[in-house]
Amino acid sequence: MDASLDTIRHQMVQLLPRLRRFAIALTGSAADGDDLVQDTVERALKNLHAWEPGSRLDSWMFRIAKNRFIDTRRSAKRGKTEAIETADEYAALDGERAMQSHLTFQDTAKALQALPVEQRQAVALVLVDGLSYREAADILEIPIGTLTSRIARAREALMTALGD
Amino acid sequence: MDRETLNAFVDGELPPQEMARIAALLETQPEMKTYVQKQERMRAALRFEDVMDAPPPQKLVETVRHAPASWRWRLQAVLGRGFVWRSLVPAGAALLVGLMIGLIGKPAEDLVLSRGQMLARGGLAQALDTRLASAGYPGQGPRIGISFRDSVGSDCRTFSSDNHAGLACHRAGNWVVTTLVTQSPEAGGAYRMAGSQMPDAVRRAVEASIAGVPFDAKAEAAARANGWAGR
Repeated sequence: MDASLDTIRHQMVQLLPRLRRFAIALTGSAADGDDLVQDTVERALKNLHAWEPGSRLDSWMFRIAKNRFIDTRRSAKRGKTEAIETADEYAALDGERAMQSHLTFQDTAKALQALPVEQRQAVALVLVDGLSYREAADILEIPIGTLTSRIARAREALMTALGD
Repeated sequence: MDRETLNAFVDGELPPQEMARIAALLETQPEMKTYVQKQERMRAALRFEDVMDAPPPQKLVETVRHAPASWRWRLQAVLGRGFVWRSLVPAGAALLVGLMIGLIGKPAEDLVLSRGQMLARGGLAQALDTRLASAGYPGQGPRIGISFRDSVGSDCRTFSSDNHAGLACHRAGNWVVTTLVTQSPEAGGAYRMAGSQMPDAVRRAVEASIAGVPFDAKAEAAARANGWAGR
């Protein structure tokens, strides 16, 4: 019925793996991550008029996810969202590759959860998703220098947590 | 070389020449190379490749494919993005809303788009032209709410039907629909306009544009006799 809307929905489907990964990096669990993505997608479609055609859909959706994550944390009981979940929850995602390496999904998620939330957001965009500093700073609406110093601090903590 | 520069190298954030220079330098500096390799391993560990490779849950895919899209966006797609929203829908009007013109369901024959304006036609235009709210509701067709003169001197009337409600102002011989809300699918049959009820969006549009008070029965009849020509 509406070709351009179909196109956008298609692009959003393509973005789902990246959005899921970003959401899991923020929330620390596959279940909470998928809830966040669900919420993000619904909001993005509902507020599509706020998206500027021609601008990047991924950046816009990451920003919505980031904001929803912050809002949810504010309204939820702290202990609940901070909880690291049991190994069972990760089992489905711990595929062969992860088993072969010495780091599991759970190790990585746990190390990210130990970071302060500002650092975790920066890491999720730059080190996990691979966005440039500029793109990540725009999504987080912070100066680029603030972003790089958050990543530098997070790196120290992650190096300790993730070994070597 | 400081860590900041090496981190920027690992993140690919240096200019191409600098990237090449450091890559060459690493071959002669084992300590630096070890640091860079550790950072690269860490980035690899953070890539969550299982998540990237896994097909997303069907529920998410279904949401993307079928969750309701912004009706304002769909309308913009028809009208062009230069369209000034403030004049059409008061900010925050949230009763909504799927809009017309074949964007959802079957086209509303009572509404047409012309040069970026939504105009009443057919039964809606006829009701706006002829019906007097003071004469009571005849039992079928659009229901007329209040009539008034707006701040630019046009005669305006609110209307409602089973499917939508709105505000139309008579300009240059046409009823220009300046605000329109439709019953949202989620609301099902639960939301149905009662005679005197007006959706918030319409009420706010009236409040924003009315000059003085709504017409009484006499003024309404006089305005009709005058062909809704306004002032």
